[in-house]
Amino acid sequence: MRDSPTMIRSLARLAACACILALGGCATVQPWEKGNLARPEMQFDGDPLLSRFEQHIYFSKEGASGGYGVGGGGCGCN
Amino acid sequence: MTSSSGRPPSAAVARGAVIAAALSLPGVAPAQSVPEGAQIGFKYLHYQDSQPGLDRITVESPSLYLLAPFAQRWSLEASLVVDSVSGATPRWHSSISSATRMQDHRTAGDLRVTRYFRRAAVDVGFAYSTEDDYQSRAASVNLRLSSDDNNTTIAVGTGLTDDTMNPNPGSVLAHEESRRVNEFIVGLTQVLSANDIVQANLSHVRGRGYYSDPYKFLDHRPRARNQNALLLRWNRHIAAAGASLRSSYRFYDDDFGITAHTVGLEWAQSLRGITLTPALRYTTQSAASFYVDPLPGSPVPPLVSADPPYYSVDHRLSAFGAITVGLKVALPLGRSWLLDAKVDVYEQRGQWRIGGEGSPGLAPFRAQFYQLGATYRF
Repeated sequence: MRDSPTMIRSLARLAACACILALGGCATVQPWEKGNLARPEMQFDGDPLLSRFEQHIYFSKEGASGGYGVGGGGCGCN
Repeated sequence: MTSSSGRPPSAAVARGAVIAAALSLPGVAPAQSVPEGAQIGFKYLHYQDSQPGLDRITVESPSLYLLAPFAQRWSLEASLVVDSVSGATPRWHSSISSATRMQDHRTAGDLRVTRYFRRAAVDVGFAYSTEDDYQSRAASVNLRLSSDDNNTTIAVGTGLTDDTMNPNPGSVLAHEESRRVNEFIVGLTQVLSANDIVQANLSHVRGRGYYSDPYKFLDHRPRARNQNALLLRWNRHIAAAGASLRSSYRFYDDDFGITAHTVGLEWAQSLRGITLTPALRYTTQSAASFYVDPLPGSPVPPLVSADPPYYSVDHRLSAFGAITVGLKVALPLGRSWLLDAKVDVYEQRGQWRIGGEGSPGLAPFRAQFYQLGATYRF
């Protein structure tokens, strides 16, 4: 596998940054304070058909993919 | 028990019912709650891509979606899409003279069943798609666990995909081929404040089998591919502006030699009941180690790559930068209906690559697509 140690090191560094970013500075938010988080536009996958279409388009026309979920299946489009 | 703002519990109870209902909406972190109601959606995609002097692929694609809770602690999610694909594709690079016409229909469906627990959820999913020369079957399992305060959710998932490819007019395949792919994902979702939520997903994909494109000139790719992706997402609500900002960054790396960075920004603006969302996406990728540049002045490409015996003249494996500009409009009608429309314009160019030289000798690749949707909640 090409560049495996460099790739793993870069990924580990990025994952660490992601964890720090996610957990740093978080306060305990109570259920009654989560009204804004419940808004449709605040969801990570608020439009499932749109997500499916767009991920399929980019999978078909580019070299990179993934990171959103597993088990979506393949196609002859790529 | 006091809230972080020091409000006594009694003031919170008044809003409790609304919040509880809101938390059970599908997709709301931590997603351990059964969706409160069912939802059926329809969306139509029209897609057209091109390069200067050649209209390429057209896709017409109606799709359906269903989300339904049942038996108190379960939900079912399903979708179905039928693609009609037609048009012309160059056999190598941006070569208009080599372009061959094709037509195909693809039907794809997926189903997911989720069982909810107090602070956890488990789901099992299946996906199946079929087209003239390609069938795909996938199964997956995910587990989500939340902290006591529901502010932190950890998710792990694994999937298996089995694909088969058949000989077809225009394809160099003489017999059936296949590919098996294993996927793994681990994700962390964290509520940072009343207006901020972030997610980090790390995925690893290992595939073995046929990866070549049988419609492309001399295409010969490795029979194994290992891919890694790190996706970081942040949704922030800005009450003063009546808007939400959704940002994302994905790092991608694989052993074909492709490294890519993708950033996305969406600004969802509320305007008198309508939500207007302009969106911007930029991606930059390196070329696969076996991608071959065109030879200036030659009608056909070089016959050997820098990474023999592997070879590809598929521009999708070249080094480029690509930009998407989009606009979505969402209009609720009454309590049950939501109509939406989105338009996107995409362009891919070697010169737009950041982080290295873009692949030379390719025409700009463009695409336009629009989506029209309607959702009914009941």
